[in-house]
Amino acid sequence: MGALSIRNVKKSFGNTHILKGIDLEIEKGQFLILVGPSGCGKSTLLNMIAGLDDITSGEIAIGDRVVNKLSPKDRDIAMVFQSYALYPNMTVRKNIAFGLDIRKVPKPEQEEIIARVAKTLQIEHLLDRKPLQLSGGQRQRVAMGRALARNPTLFLFDEPLSNLDAKLRVEMRSEIKLLHQRLGTTIVYVTHDQIEAMTLGDRIAVMKDGEVRQFGSPQQIYDAPADLYVAGFIGSPSMNFIPVQLREEDGHAVVDLDNGRAVQAVKLSPISDSQRAFVGKQVVLGIRPEQLTDPESAHSERGNLQTLQATVAITEPTGPDTLVTVTFNGIKTVARCHPRAAGAPGQQVELTLDPTKALLFDPVSEKRLA
Amino acid sequence: MADYPQSLQAKLIRFGIYAVLVLMALWYLAPLYVMLSTSFKTLDEIRAGNLLSLPGTFSLDAWSAAWSSACTGVECGGMKRYFANSLTMMIPAVLISTLVGAFNGYILSMWRFKGSDMFFMALLIGTFLPFQVVILPMAQVLGWLELENSTGRLVLVHVIYGLQFTTLFFRNYYVTVPGELVKAARIDGAGFFRIFFKILLPISVPTIMVCLIWQTTQIWNDYLFGVVFSSGEGQPMTVALNNLVNTSTGVKQYNVDMAAAIIAALPTLLVYMVGGKYFVRGLTAGAVKG
Amino acid sequence: MTASRQGAPGFSISRLADVILPKLVLAPTVLACLVGFYVFIGWTAWLSFTESRLLPRYEWAGFVQYVELFGNERWWGAMQNLGIFGGLFILVSMALGLLMAVLLDQKIRFEGAIRTLYLYPMALSFIVTGTAWKWILNPGLGLEKMAHDWGFTGVTFDWIINPDFAIYTVVIAGVWQSSGFVMALFLAGLRGVDDSIIKAAQMDGASLPTIYTRIIIPSLRPVFLSAFMILAHIAVKSFDLVMALTGGGPGFATDLPSIFMYQHGFTRGQLGLGAASAMMMLFTACAVVMPLLYSELRRERRG
Repeated sequence: MGALSIRNVKKSFGNTHILKGIDLEIEKGQFLILVGPSGCGKSTLLNMIAGLDDITSGEIAIGDRVVNKLSPKDRDIAMVFQSYALYPNMTVRKNIAFGLDIRKVPKPEQEEIIARVAKTLQIEHLLDRKPLQLSGGQRQRVAMGRALARNPTLFLFDEPLSNLDAKLRVEMRSEIKLLHQRLGTTIVYVTHDQIEAMTLGDRIAVMKDGEVRQFGSPQQIYDAPADLYVAGFIGSPSMNFIPVQLREEDGHAVVDLDNGRAVQAVKLSPISDSQRAFVGKQVVLGIRPEQLTDPESAHSERGNLQTLQATVAITEPTGPDTLVTVTFNGIKTVARCHPRAAGAPGQQVELTLDPTKALLFDPVSEKRLA
Repeated sequence: MADYPQSLQAKLIRFGIYAVLVLMALWYLAPLYVMLSTSFKTLDEIRAGNLLSLPGTFSLDAWSAAWSSACTGVECGGMKRYFANSLTMMIPAVLISTLVGAFNGYILSMWRFKGSDMFFMALLIGTFLPFQVVILPMAQVLGWLELENSTGRLVLVHVIYGLQFTTLFFRNYYVTVPGELVKAARIDGAGFFRIFFKILLPISVPTIMVCLIWQTTQIWNDYLFGVVFSSGEGQPMTVALNNLVNTSTGVKQYNVDMAAAIIAALPTLLVYMVGGKYFVRGLTAGAVKG
Repeated sequence: MTASRQGAPGFSISRLADVILPKLVLAPTVLACLVGFYVFIGWTAWLSFTESRLLPRYEWAGFVQYVELFGNERWWGAMQNLGIFGGLFILVSMALGLLMAVLLDQKIRFEGAIRTLYLYPMALSFIVTGTAWKWILNPGLGLEKMAHDWGFTGVTFDWIINPDFAIYTVVIAGVWQSSGFVMALFLAGLRGVDDSIIKAAQMDGASLPTIYTRIIIPSLRPVFLSAFMILAHIAVKSFDLVMALTGGGPGFATDLPSIFMYQHGFTRGQLGLGAASAMMMLFTACAVVMPLLYSELRRERRG
């Protein structure tokens, strides 16, 4: 039995289906991320785990208890919100103590819990202030402190960093990761930011339109995305999608790339059965910018790099590397090159492509051809 | 607006603007001045002088007559009984309608359920209705309930027909409070009532003020419900004032009329002076809803 | 530290409470609203289709009361008065309110105090207002006498007892009471106008009056609508003011539907007729407000 089991959970309002059948399971101590664009249902799912929303059908179990009919306070959970949701008329101390009071925790124990939590989150000096007097980052810490004080089975986070500025967001992200490692808590974390998803999660559920498109570890999702949507969602700048005609040569998948001047044949990995079915048809080639780079910077596990020529359209220096935009088969394609090897607009540049990382997708079903 | 050069034309325009504003101010103040000065005059002074002339002797006779001996129809006990009636009617009505309105606003914003939004719409539509369409049946029902006491009747009526406004005020305020506050409290284990009293009410003070002031003004100033649902000695101040002014037994005592009018106006004027900004908020809040 | 997790029931009372309590607490208001408004309106409507006189009778009598109402000269006089009074009241209040708001928008010193002053009449009961103006407009001792004392001996100002002019006295008193409120609405609206639009117009070289008439005032359309609906509402309901100012007289010169309804429904023992007149008042209020609301909604949907 996992720490959290979501079994075929559905949610509808009349004829609108918000969640169409979600199945997820995580073990104790794992960090689950629910990621997706607005409207994909991730917040709704979180609210249902918390007990703030009703389930239309299906089961949610925390630990080994089915919690469908339990009110939030009986589910042994704590939640941190995007807007922190601190009680405005109470001091930080009272904010943390509020839930403890309701649970009739004896006063001395309350003091001990508050002191411990304040120390962990370094908010001891803020205990007697009111939320209005705190900065965004401080409020977020207090919100986490309030959650920590309950010592629950499950921690829920609803886009907690979205209201912070970029720098603070990166700092808090690391703090959350550190806390997770130290305390070994089970966490469900909702975000729309794919970087947060990749850096924080043990397991990621990529959601869209009320469904889980893929559920796996960050590396799995990065390397082997289930469909076009997941492939394009994770990774920044996002994966390049180039329409190509699929051929087979010597048992390998081969595609043709037209850089505007000449057509180059690119030899990919040995062809699989599902891919063979598409020989002679249009498919989508997916290749990440970081897998399309200049010859010196490239490193591949197999050493079977394919070399391509292309004309530079624009270059965007980011510091550590430069994003070079070229055109293949009429599609703007982004490559990540070393700054010195980037070239200038109009120039020819030599790029290497790692065929083991190149992916093929069915353009109609959008699924990856494994 | 950008700074304009202080040319002669600009200065003249500026002067003109202030002149108009001052004239308007005088127009608004004039009736109040007239009421006051007339109330301090004797009847002879009134006949001798005119509206704007100052009272010569600042006599308080009219005031004491208005308070304790003026005749309103059959009774000749002055305004004081009716003043008390209005007070005893107003206080419970204001408090009850405010409290219930607060709960309603809380529910309609934080605990919505199927049909609650539709109900809110139905309630809002009520604010457009002329009360003439409900007073006939209400009179019947009050008779059935055998509620004879005028004050009781008025409290009931004012609460029922005040709920639309109080609910509106609180609901419009609570929808600006993030729903996550209630969610966090529920997860902490707080229930319906605790969340209301410990978390939402403490931050509702401005809205409570608006509500209290608005309801006080509306209820104290009401005439229609007063004249329809109360009778004789139980009538509120407004009805008594109108009776006083419009029953002509013998010589018309204009000074007493004016004194009585000011007595009637004092409470709400005081409330306005003390809580003016809340009053304005109430007015514009009610208007913005449309 | 937390309550025992094992063996807890799969069902919580607190959850049930959270579902039931809101509905329970809202219920009295729902009842009060449904009965107090909708049931009562239906009731009044029913009464208007009966022959009730002093006591209610509930047998259907068709449109008898409406026929009598529409044949009643006094009723038509009252409706006409409502039209005159309402129209003037709304027009003058809006014009005055807008003017004052525009003037106050010009960075006036003591703006707060002036605003407070303009608004105080709203705090008064219409009875007080009516009483005050009744005295001011008193034919022998009021404005007329004041004018005479100042040397304008030829002036007569007996509007309040003049059947042809009495209705205008109601307009004056009504405008006095409500124009400050309209000013407050417009001022709030003016303050809400986007500064950048004004700056753009100034860069285009527009003068201040032009900016006001061509840009700002047109953008206040929603405020005009709000003000109109509220003033129309006040006008249709007007009862207190007229009762205090003129009592409906002289004769029926300032009679209004609300007075007609009150007298027939409560003092003359004509419940059916009173109910019919009440229904007509409702109908009038809706007729005024609905087309505007409808056209605004359509505008929003299109734009």
